[in-house]
Parts: sequence; C-alpha cells; structure tokens
Amino acid sequence: MRHSAYQLRPNKAVDRLFLIEAIRRLDRLARLREYTYYGLGGPYLEDFRLLYELYPEIKMVSIEEDADTVKRQEFHLPCAVETLTLEKAKFKSYLAHYEPNDKKSIFWLDYTGLSYGNFEDLMVLLGKVSEKSMVKITLRAQPSDFIDQQNESLGSRAERFRRQFGALMPDSAADPPRDFWDFACLLQDMVQVAAQKALPGAVPLMFQPVSSFYYSDGTGIFTLTGVVCRRDAAAETKKAFEDLHFCNLTWAKPKHIDVPVLSTKERLHLQNLLPCSSSAGRTLREALGYLIDKDRESTEAKLKQYADFHRYYPYFMRAVP
Amino acid sequence: MGKDKQIQYEPVDASPAKSFFVTMFTRDIRLEEAILDLLDNCVDGILRSKKRNSGKKPYEGFKAEIVFKKDSFMISDNCGGIPWSLHDYAFRLGRAKNRPADEPGTVGVYGIGMKRAIFKMGADCLIWTKNGEHEYDVHITPKWIADEENWNIPVSPAKKSMQEDGTTIIIENLYPGINARFSSDAEDFESELRRMVATHYAFIIDKGFEVSINKKAVTPRPVKLIFAAGDGKAKRIRPFIFKTRTDDGVDVFLAVGFTRPMPTEEEIATEPEEVRYSSIDAGWTVLCNDRAVLYCDRSELTGWGEAGVPRYHTQFIGISGIVEFRCDDASKLPTTTTKRGIDAASPLYLQIKNKMREGMRVFIDYTNEWKGRVEEAKKHIEEEKAIPFDEVKVAAGKLTLRSTTKTIPKGNQYKPELPSPKKLEPRKRRISFVKDVKEIESVAEHLFDDKDADPSSVGERCFDLILKEARR
Repeated sequence: MRHSAYQLRPNKAVDRLFLIEAIRRLDRLARLREYTYYGLGGPYLEDFRLLYELYPEIKMVSIEEDADTVKRQEFHLPCAVETLTLEKAKFKSYLAHYEPNDKKSIFWLDYTGLSYGNFEDLMVLLGKVSEKSMVKITLRAQPSDFIDQQNESLGSRAERFRRQFGALMPDSAADPPRDFWDFACLLQDMVQVAAQKALPGAVPLMFQPVSSFYYSDGTGIFTLTGVVCRRDAAAETKKAFEDLHFCNLTWAKPKHIDVPVLSTKERLHLQNLLPCSSSAGRTLREALGYLIDKDRESTEAKLKQYADFHRYYPYFMRAVP
Repeated sequence: MGKDKQIQYEPVDASPAKSFFVTMFTRDIRLEEAILDLLDNCVDGILRSKKRNSGKKPYEGFKAEIVFKKDSFMISDNCGGIPWSLHDYAFRLGRAKNRPADEPGTVGVYGIGMKRAIFKMGADCLIWTKNGEHEYDVHITPKWIADEENWNIPVSPAKKSMQEDGTTIIIENLYPGINARFSSDAEDFESELRRMVATHYAFIIDKGFEVSINKKAVTPRPVKLIFAAGDGKAKRIRPFIFKTRTDDGVDVFLAVGFTRPMPTEEEIATEPEEVRYSSIDAGWTVLCNDRAVLYCDRSELTGWGEAGVPRYHTQFIGISGIVEFRCDDASKLPTTTTKRGIDAASPLYLQIKNKMREGMRVFIDYTNEWKGRVEEAKKHIEEEKAIPFDEVKVAAGKLTLRSTTKTIPKGNQYKPELPSPKKLEPRKRRISFVKDVKEIESVAEHLFDDKDADPSSVGERCFDLILKEARR
C-alpha cells in the first residue's frame, strides 16, 4: 500500500485547513460537540490530528479497509480511542450500515480516483445525513485520464467517460474537457446534478455548497464542501459561511489553489506585508527581489496565490524527535 | 321488496370530469416524456407542412427551442403550425372518430400528447400558432381548468405576428412539483432532458432537425454498429439484419451487432464496485417513424432473459440492436399512449421479437466462444468501422439477404458468419488464476513501475521470468 507523503502536498494541506475553517463556522448552526467527523484518513490521520487539536469536542471515526493501513493508523493515533474510532471496513459497507439517528455528521469522502461509485456514495450519503451535516467530496480531476491515445477510436477513453458518467453530465454527448479548469468545472456540475438527484426539490432538505477548489500536487484534484440543510433554512446556512474566505455559496466556478513552494525564511520575510489587498503578486515579488517561477507574470500569479492562502499554508519544519 | 314500491333508476352521468384529465391523467407520464410528446408534435408538424427536403437531411431548417425557467416553460418551433382545419383535434381531449386522416408518418394517435403535457406543467397556457393565413391564440386559463362545465376554449386572432409558420407554447402558473424541477433541480432536470432528447431524437437530429434547450443545441447520441465492408461473405464483424413489410403496410428493419469490443475479464470483474456505468449503449433501441420509443433496453421487453437468451450481463456490453417500424398510419405502430414505450402485447412486435432474439443469439454465441481470448477478439472489432443506423441500412443493401418465407415473420435476412476462434495448439495450455488486487498492484509496480498494468500482462511476465530462471 503506497501513500503520498502529506507534507509534500502543500495545496492539499491548504484545502485541509480550509475544511477546518469551514467546520469552525458550523457552530453557528449547531454546537460542535453534537457533530461526529467521518473520514478516510489514510495512514497518518492528518485531518484527525488537526481536528483533535482544534476541536477536541468533536467525536471522530476513521474508515479504512486495508488492514495494514489500519495498523499504521493505530500507530499514529492522535488521541484516545474514546474520541477517535478506527473502523476497518469498506466505505460502501460502512455507508450501508450508517444510521445518523438525527445526529449531525461531517463526512470527508476523500477519494484518490474518479468513478461513478464515488458519486453513488455521495448520493447515498446525502440521502442519509441529518440536517446541518457537512459533506466534503474530493475527486481525481486528471483530464489526461480520458484523452484518447492514437488508434483508440473504439471503446475510446472519452466514450468510457460518457458511459461511466453520462447520467450526471450536463451534456451526456459531450467529450470530457482537456483543460484542468474545465474538467474541474465539469466535476462540480456533476456533483451538483448528483446532489439534486439525491435531494430533489420535492424533499425538504437540500445540499448547500460552501466552497469548491481545484489544485494539483502532481495529480489534479477537485473538491467541494457543502452542508445539508432545510430548504427554508438555506439563507441562514449561507449566512453562517458568508465570511469564510473564498466561500462558494452559489455553485460558482471552483477556485484554484496553487501555492508556491517557499522556504521558511522567505515566508517570514513576506509575513509583515500580509494581508495585502491590492497588487499582492507584484508587492510580494518586489519584496523578494527575484523570480520564483519562469517569468514575472507567473511569479506574481504564484505570489498572489500565496497572499490568498498564506493563512492556510502550514509550515513544514524539521523537528527533533 | 314489494311489487308496489319499485324504485325508479335514472341514467347516471358518465361524462368525463375535467379534473381527471388535469390531475390524474398527467400522472401516467414523466415530465421529460411529456416534453418529448411536445417535440413529437413539432415533427408531426413538419410532416404535415410537406416542406421537408429530400435526401439525407429531410428535417434541415426545422427547429424547436425549449426554454424553462423557475416560473415558465416555453417550446417554440417553425414546424408549420397547427392548421385551423385540425383545431378540433389539436385542442380536443382525445381523438374523435370522424377526424380527417393525418399526413403519412405522423405519430399522434390518441390526441392527448400536447394537452397532457400542458396540464402536467401548469394552470395557464398560451398556444400561439401560425399556419398559412391562419394565425391564432388559444388561451387555457386557471379559471377554465377549474370550471367542470365549460369545455369550450376561447380562440382569438394572434396578438403578435409570427415570421414563419410554427407554434409557440408558453406555460405559466406552474404546479409546485414542476416549479421545483425547473428551479432547485434545474441542473439535474436539464441534464436528464438533454440526455433523453439526444438519445430518443438522435435519428431525427441526425437528419437535420435542431433542438435547443435553454439556448444550447442538443448533440445527438446515435447508436452505431460495427459493419465490416465487403460483400458479406468473409468472416468479419457485421450485424444481423432482418427486414420485412407486413401485409398492413408496416416496414420493419432490424439490425443487431456490436458497438464496441467485448469487455475484458478485468472490466467484468471490477464492474460491480469500481467501474460502474451510468449510461450504457448496450441493448435495444426501437424506432417508430424515426422516433425512439425505447432506448438501450436490456430487459425481457426486448428479449433479454427469455426463450434461450440469457439475462443481460456486463459481458454483453458490446451488443446493441436497433429495430425500426415505419408506417404512414401511426395506429399500426406498436407504441403505447406515451409514445415512449412498446406495446409488448402487439402481435407485430411479438413476431419481430423472435427475430431480435435470433439476431442477439449470434453475438451472444460469439461472446461465449471468445471468452478468455478477449485480446484476440478485440482485433476483429478494432479493424472495422462503426456506422450509424442510416448507413447500416445503406450497407445492408449491398449484402445478399436470404428470404425467410417459411418462418414467421416472413422477410429477408442476413445472418453474419463471425470469426470463430482457432483451437489452441495441442502443446499449449491456458493458465488463469485469481489474486488479491493489492498484491497484483504490488507486483505490477515491481515489474512495470505501473501499478495499473494489465493483470494478465503481470501474470504472463511473472511466468516468463520464472521460466527463464528454471531453464538456467
């Protein structure tokens, strides 16, 4: 079982801290101790560690089917088993038995791939969770997976995409886009269609988006977070998240996360210029006095990203064990 | 009961209740299907207008635009409008016996499609139509719907003038469920409607008809079949063909074959949990006068799982068939009132279903024969071209069709001889085994630096390496 080192994925780290920020705002809807967090935490249980540090009142459940990964999780447990339960189960099976009994949940469906089964899980989950629950879904968004190679006219990858996802695509006859941004937008549209199928207008609950991002730490990723709420409480739910930086409360296009790799020394140097509301990219470039990417334009774009997300960008440092 | 006290029975009132048509009758049909009924009316309008082009694109220049919003639905076409001579039919609930004969090829039979679609959606509807010198408005109001006694709908000269002959229907005062579909479910609804139009209208759109939904054109998704060129004698992949004309004038053309290569064992094994298809081209599509009344059906309705044909399974994902029924008199076509379903008890359809099963059997047998040798079989299909139904009909004309006069239904058919596998050489044996996915990934990564490498290649490479070692 191979896992990427989480510290080598700065964009994912930013996304993870965004979730933590979003969870903070859930307490405007209900008390955080009423929530249970369910995640597919991987061997290091990084999101669980963060949650425990910041919100110890939230109970947590990790769902993992691989026995060795569960053993590694036991090794990395950030807290007592009374707070974090490790469940060895397939997520689909766990979901089939999951009964919220009116208790509020926070789910992170953190998939590394992209399949119709992922959307099915989302639809089942949206139909089950109680109101004021938060659901985040993360999907692989790699357009090259579906770009046809030569001599692949039959049973082609584009056709495979349509066969797999046709029921959720806004236009089931279209080819999947070749561009990362367009592909991420398509996935968001598909999540929206899936959410509407799971919670159609005839039922009192709906899925209110909170944020959506796309990023790449080597592999393209799309992620969307939302809250299941009563239709007549949509305004109240939106209000709870409206001060969340880069919130997406209207199914607007997803926001790109593309933070630059900066040394700790560089970050400390830029610290006193932040936050920076106008011409952030240029201001930070001038403060550094050199380019950190291929040209001035891309350097400024990267530094603008840093200005946007610096509060969510963790420091990775060597520590004495 | 005494003879002196005989009760006098009066005739009972059996007249139809308007509320039945408005609230009950509309439950038989999905919203998307009701909108397809409105599109059917557009196409019937083209056939009536007699302005169709000849050649491959008879519907070119004709279009229908669908626009839905939170509080309204509109469909607008340039397909000839509703002739005043047909007003009694067009606006009456049900088809009267004395109705004049319609133009050949139209599919309206029961006289309910447009009205049912309107009543399904909302309580206020304006129908504005222009046909030659006649240009008039018909306004169905909530008051008219609520009035059980009044069956007359007022007609007035059109308030605005239309550039071309055509019809525009605007429905407002939408019912709550419809309003929700057009607003909170709008993305799901549009995706579903677009998919249904793209599949059910694929053949008509391919012939030039334009349909747009919320200003975006619908791209057709026609079913294509693998059809090897040539005279049909060599053992190559071609569809099974059957065609006939019944005594009462229904033309039937049937083609069944492959749309794609057979699935690999890996694809079949992982389908339940990993791959999962939400939209499959396999199965039968049934056309009645160009309109698909069934699309990619894989149930007993089209012969799967009955009379010697196995139930549909992923291994048959490449098998697809199309049956076309064509008749000037739509009442002879085997459709239901919704025009989106087959009348399974129709004697004509039951006869044709025999041929559908016979054709399917050819490709099921091929699939079974080549099981375990998918990579070899894949080449048969990859070498050939997939063509849409119209081209299948043209290509079938170049084949020698055998007459089937002694069986029912009578007709002409082409039964392809498909490539059959050579027996394995006596000195060769097949090895197959099952291993844990994670273990296969580990070995694949070790051997090929790619955990997603094809499992059969991983197994074969392991064998070759050990063989080399064993022979040292």
